[in-house]
Amino acid sequence: MAVARPNGADHALLYVPGRSFLHRLNPLTKLALVLWCAVAAFALPPQGTIPLALLAIAVGIFAGAGKVFARRLIFTLTPLALALFVVHGMLVDHEGARAAVLGLDLSHDGLAYMVRILGRIAALLSGSLLFVCTTHPARLLKALDSHNFPPGMAYVIASPLLLLEPFTQRARAIREAQMARGLDLQGSFLTRARAFPALLMPLVTLALADIDHRAQVLDGRGFRAMPHRTVLDAPADSGAQRAARWIIVLSIPVLIAGGILWH
Amino acid sequence: MKLDTKSLVLMAVAIVINVVVGQIAVWIKLPLYVDAVGTVLVGILAGPFAGALTGVLTNLIWGLISDPVAAAFFPVSLVIGALAGILARMGWFKSVGMTIAAGAVIGVISTIVAVPIIVYMFGGVTGAGTDFATAYLLAVGQELVQSVAIANLVQNLADKILTCLIAWLIVKRLPMRFTSGFAFYGYSKA
Repeated sequence: MAVARPNGADHALLYVPGRSFLHRLNPLTKLALVLWCAVAAFALPPQGTIPLALLAIAVGIFAGAGKVFARRLIFTLTPLALALFVVHGMLVDHEGARAAVLGLDLSHDGLAYMVRILGRIAALLSGSLLFVCTTHPARLLKALDSHNFPPGMAYVIASPLLLLEPFTQRARAIREAQMARGLDLQGSFLTRARAFPALLMPLVTLALADIDHRAQVLDGRGFRAMPHRTVLDAPADSGAQRAARWIIVLSIPVLIAGGILWH
Repeated sequence: MKLDTKSLVLMAVAIVINVVVGQIAVWIKLPLYVDAVGTVLVGILAGPFAGALTGVLTNLIWGLISDPVAAAFFPVSLVIGALAGILARMGWFKSVGMTIAAGAVIGVISTIVAVPIIVYMFGGVTGAGTDFATAYLLAVGQELVQSVAIANLVQNLADKILTCLIAWLIVKRLPMRFTSGFAFYGYSKA
């Protein structure tokens, strides 16, 4: 179960290479910031979430990820805004005044609720995009390893991020090969449904065929022989960043309490 | 619980399968997500714990790479993975009929978990096709929670039955040399 996937979801990674301040931050510091943004998105009213989203967007543009931010925000927020407008602005029986605008019977409270939800999602989305656009998965893996994360867990988190790009390319190659053989992806629903196994089965079979080999290679390298792995070129960390992470995490209960009071 | 290396690699590949199969469903404009095939696969082959962990990580990683809002639905994926493993332990993936029943059970229970997230976090909408059904049900006089529940139940039932059938078909086609490494799969052998 997920929300509607944006049309641009073909791109396996949203990472935008760069050397901005945000790119250079330790991935764990950025993860702490994402956590803070996620809590703030639910704890704060729209007067807090909308400025937070705008601030995150401004930082994203500064980090060189403006295009990704624009595309993702438009693809995610537009259908949600339309659905919220119809459902809460027009259909749900909210308390409070209603007004006729351009022949539509709109609920004032329903529209306010729409703004609240959109502000929440915009804050959540832009906070996460800051992390995603400026952190390469390989750097995240190294950051986890260098902070004594169990190697098995670090592998399960980071390996899919690294495997995704080749698998997406493989899926595209299978799609093009099947289309060259006459597979119709633009026909009726039944035609498209019939095309599904032709795309799915070769991909999954190939993916599973690698598993034994990958497991043997990992075991051969003794990747879980020691409780922790040593990283030669770990992402830079500093006392200031470690302190910042603690402050961010410890401020979350304060943020929740502040949000309750603000409401 | 310590998982062996082969299960860890299976989980990593299953997460990628979830994401890429979800993309294929978008390519062919299928009105279903089909984004839990890998999760159910792990549930059948490696058990409920591995299945639940695969589900959670799929949504968190999906959230990290392309759709941050998907991360909010991680409890739904957790339940899908855990249920697939539990039902596999009970022998529900031994035949096609039982697999359809397992898909229906997973569809109903995952909807029960998803509805509060959709209603209280996202105001009852997801930006997907089910919003049309939700709006229609609201227009004919249903309450918001009921409208979201009915609209999502119908879609989820179809989605999870198809997901379980695909996972079952894949598992049945796997060579014994591969499945013999997963002792848990013994519960799903006919």
